Amino acid sequence: MPKKYSIAGSAAPPRFQPVGKFVIERNEDECIHCGRCTLVCLHDVHKRRGDDPRFISEPVNYLCKGCFRCIQECPKEALTIKNNEEWLLLGDSYWTPETFGKIWYQAETGSIPVSGTGYTGPFSGEGFDSMWTDMSEIVRPTRDGIHGREYISTSVYIGRKAQMLTFDNKGKIKSPLPPTLSIPIPLIFDIIPFRFSKNVYESLVKAASFLGTFMIIDLDEWFNSKYQANLVPFFANLSKKMNQKLMFPEFEGVIKKCKMVEIAYDLEVLKVVEEIKRLKNEMIVSVRIPFGDSTNKIVEELAFAGVEVLHLCADVNGKVISSSDKNRFVKDGILDAHRLLVEHKIRDEVTLMLSGGIAMAEHVAKAIICGADVTAVDLPLLIALECRYCKRCQNGLSCPVELKALNSDYGAQRIINLMRAWRNQLLEVLGAMGLRDVRRLRGEVGRAILHEDIRHETFEKILRSEGVTNNIKSSN
Amino acid sequence: MCAAICPSGVHERKTGHNRVSKPRSYLCIGKECENNPLYCIDHCPRKALSIVQNQNYTSIGDSRWTREFILGTWKQAETGLPLQGLKYEIGSSGGGFDGLLFKFQKEGRTEAIEESAINTELELNKRDGRKISIKVPFYGGGMSFGSVGLKVMLARAKAAKAWGTFTCTGEGGYPDALKPYDDNMITQVATGLFGVSEDSIQRVKIVEFKYAQGAKPGLGGHLLGDKVTSEVARMREAVAGSSLFSPFPFHSVYSVEDHKKHVDWIREINPDALISVKVSTPSDIDMVAVGSYYAGAHIIHLDGSYGGTGAAPDIAKKNIAMPIEYAIPKVHEFLKEEGIRDKITVIASGGIRTAYDAAKAIALGSDGVVIGTSDLVALGCVRCGCCESNRGCPRGIATTDPELSEVISVEWGAQRLINLYAAWRSTLISILKQLGMQSITELVGRYDCLMNSEHTKGKDD
Repeated sequence: MPKKYSIAGSAAPPRFQPVGKFVIERNEDECIHCGRCTLVCLHDVHKRRGDDPRFISEPVNYLCKGCFRCIQECPKEALTIKNNEEWLLLGDSYWTPETFGKIWYQAETGSIPVSGTGYTGPFSGEGFDSMWTDMSEIVRPTRDGIHGREYISTSVYIGRKAQMLTFDNKGKIKSPLPPTLSIPIPLIFDIIPFRFSKNVYESLVKAASFLGTFMIIDLDEWFNSKYQANLVPFFANLSKKMNQKLMFPEFEGVIKKCKMVEIAYDLEVLKVVEEIKRLKNEMIVSVRIPFGDSTNKIVEELAFAGVEVLHLCADVNGKVISSSDKNRFVKDGILDAHRLLVEHKIRDEVTLMLSGGIAMAEHVAKAIICGADVTAVDLPLLIALECRYCKRCQNGLSCPVELKALNSDYGAQRIINLMRAWRNQLLEVLGAMGLRDVRRLRGEVGRAILHEDIRHETFEKILRSEGVTNNIKSSN
Repeated sequence: MCAAICPSGVHERKTGHNRVSKPRSYLCIGKECENNPLYCIDHCPRKALSIVQNQNYTSIGDSRWTREFILGTWKQAETGLPLQGLKYEIGSSGGGFDGLLFKFQKEGRTEAIEESAINTELELNKRDGRKISIKVPFYGGGMSFGSVGLKVMLARAKAAKAWGTFTCTGEGGYPDALKPYDDNMITQVATGLFGVSEDSIQRVKIVEFKYAQGAKPGLGGHLLGDKVTSEVARMREAVAGSSLFSPFPFHSVYSVEDHKKHVDWIREINPDALISVKVSTPSDIDMVAVGSYYAGAHIIHLDGSYGGTGAAPDIAKKNIAMPIEYAIPKVHEFLKEEGIRDKITVIASGGIRTAYDAAKAIALGSDGVVIGTSDLVALGCVRCGCCESNRGCPRGIATTDPELSEVISVEWGAQRLINLYAAWRSTLISILKQLGMQSITELVGRYDCLMNSEHTKGKDD
């Protein structure tokens, strides 16, 4: 049996105090410094001052869980609690404060977020929130990946797969085997949306190298041949440059070093693929295709033309750019592409990579259920480094968490921790479904509970009795 | 002046004191008092009083358990009286129970029904054999010794006895202190078989098989090492301080036949016991329900994915398996098609927060409901979510830590629960009355009594 793959985590406490959910305010006029709060708080929010224990120090707000115990027990009613404005302003409607909080926790500890009481969020939402994953109740063999009693594989292949093998008279494989790469987690690091200092890229690539996965990088931003085994160089205008014979030999040099490259889609993309293959036949070439109205046409064309990896990208919020449907989400985009390739009986030959809007571990599982082989993740890697997505750096302002001063080994550990937690959550989802291989999850739409379908199936009678079935269904 | 007029006792002048005491704001009924002739703000001769919303108030609750739900449950547990108003009927999660309202009849039959004649009793055994009915169509869900303290278990048991219903031991042994309440206890046989013995099976009238829990479907139970104190360990025949996994699934059950074998074991040990099968809500939940029936179960207990837990991965709570609102009609319809709906009792849990939720669940097709979190909220829980650690519960509920458990007492807890159940029953009766029904059993599967709340709120669901 091959050695079990597991990711070792190690604590990486934040360099800066994280933004917490609550703010406790102490009314200094009322407080008698009796210390009741320091006794009742179970999370060390309240402490006496180190330099002068006669006084209580300022509450350490980010540790507060909102249990109200100090508020109620304070004999002078000197404490009040409120929601932290700064917390509420984190991110946006897609990258919610909760997402930040969870990523920070995972990056620090490498553990799965676990809590008591039931789910606290909205009933359902758009995109990935409009589906639930399945579980198997009784009739299935045990699957227990996390606690290590049984091995669940999370590795995936990248590259073209032969539809069938042919053999010669002696039973040897005759058909040529296309090159493939194997990565132990269905996650690749995507191009991060902003430009950063060298140490940030180093953190990312060190983590990628530790995990055994790849990092896509725009050559204009950064490249270091030391990490070439884990770097996937991205070329934006290759066909234009090629026509003008601009980039050789520097281009050839990079191509020779790496195992995989990514090129942006344009009309001459097939010519470029051919050229790269001429230079290095075992090179895996991924074509980056932004979702749009003609995505399916492009996917079809490239799949039949023999392109190995199709990287479909949505915007950072998982929205698909489409003129027909403004609210289309990456989940539906990938589902369509997947189904199209299944119809054409060519699905297994190509690798579909998906990026855009992958913010939590559950999104990885759900993207794969909807048809992706691999997901590419961007923003969460930055958030793991304590980034608050405030975009100040884009306006030349200072970074609140001083990413420039980040030690790349420490940064890599935070990212490794996050990926460890994500992988373990993926194991939970796979285990609950009774699967022992993430490749089995791909396109298993039958094992997803889609909100619109189940609502229609079960609530139909209620809706029908109102005579407004159609209205409500379409408003979903 | 204020002390003399306030009917709620907010203002007080202690005898012999020159000044009035600090207002006891928690007693204030708020802005609603404005039109009251005794509104203190208007009467103060020096205009010295003002009224604002308490800042602390804004931080309580979440979209499933809104602050109105939490404070409303506290109020019911304190007074035993039902609460009325839309804010107590739907929360703000935007779907499921929060997207449904009752279509009450405006006039007609409702006047004719005497409230005292309305029956909330539920028969749990629809097969042959010993009949067991509960006076209210809800009972307590499984919470193990270890996940909660003994005081909580005793309080729940006392309340169950007072109301003629049941509560459940969960998977963690059956403490001897519960002996006087054996007739109102359900004991759980779950995948870890912690604390299961012949004796524990013979003590009860209902035995519950826990195949899965809604909050962590397919993942089994997990009591973190922190909560495995020596007492808990003794009860579970385990080692103190080591995390206890209740693995998923039953390693001896891979088919309905295997399941039947389990049921038969229990019936061999306690022939009169009713068998309840607790399952979570996968896409084939309807098949699971039918399978359980043919294996001999009396009760199929569906635990929806948004339900409570002592500790579960957040990813599982949110994403794995479907919410109970969809599972109930799915199972109800399928059992009807199979012609066995009247032979098995369907119980729903996992997100039943209020009596309104309970009534909606019944209208969607279950016979009754199981409650868990509402019990704990009645005991003071604010849902801070720290139950996974033994020193995490500020209310002394989800802990066996002796110091933290000091906060609550059994008598107080039992009374709070008795009050809550009284309020729930009154609410159910008032719902039935408004629907023109005489018995809770009439409400089962009456989709036509429900409507989409979008019509009233204009909010997208």
